[in-house]
Amino acid sequence: MTAQLSATGLKTKLNVALPFPIAIAAWIVAGLGHALLQRWPKALGFFLAAAGLAIAGCELRGEIFSWHSGGTFGSLGFIADAGSGIFYFAARMLEGGGPDIARATGDYGTRFIAAAGIVNLLAVLDAYGVAIGRRN
Amino acid sequence: MHLNHFLSMILFAALVSVALACVGRRTIAERMKYALWLLALFVAVGLGIAWLMYPLSR
Repeated sequence: MTAQLSATGLKTKLNVALPFPIAIAAWIVAGLGHALLQRWPKALGFFLAAAGLAIAGCELRGEIFSWHSGGTFGSLGFIADAGSGIFYFAARMLEGGGPDIARATGDYGTRFIAAAGIVNLLAVLDAYGVAIGRRN
Repeated sequence: MHLNHFLSMILFAALVSVALACVGRRTIAERMKYALWLLALFVAVGLGIAWLMYPLSR
């Protein structure tokens, strides 16, 4: 009983001490924050969703916004895209022929990549909530 | 990769449904049911809006 209580107390203490590193890990790789908190199904779900959206977006040759994208739409696009963490940087590095904005599929790809970032930001907030004990 | 409009919508809806189900429900069974329900709603609302907008495209 004592051992269980102390183990629970240690876990609570660790979770309270680590919300920011866990949030950063969750941003870098989708699902990693939940994996560190041993929420395996959630980790898998968020990883599949963010990775699927990012990969499909790149395959559809969507536009990947950079920091220097001009205008409000470009800035918002960059924030949404950068939310996907490592997928954003991988997509920027592996980007080949640029966005295919002449066809509807390229436009869909742009939305897919932005949605991957938004989904990952949702995962970051959820992981942070779990780490501070506000969510299960 | 070439997807038509409908397949793109289905793929988008399926992946977003999985993420929202992870946030919104606690058990795996509840999440699966909620994800399927969200997917059905995404598709139904998407088709409904497309049908409503069809006269505007002509």
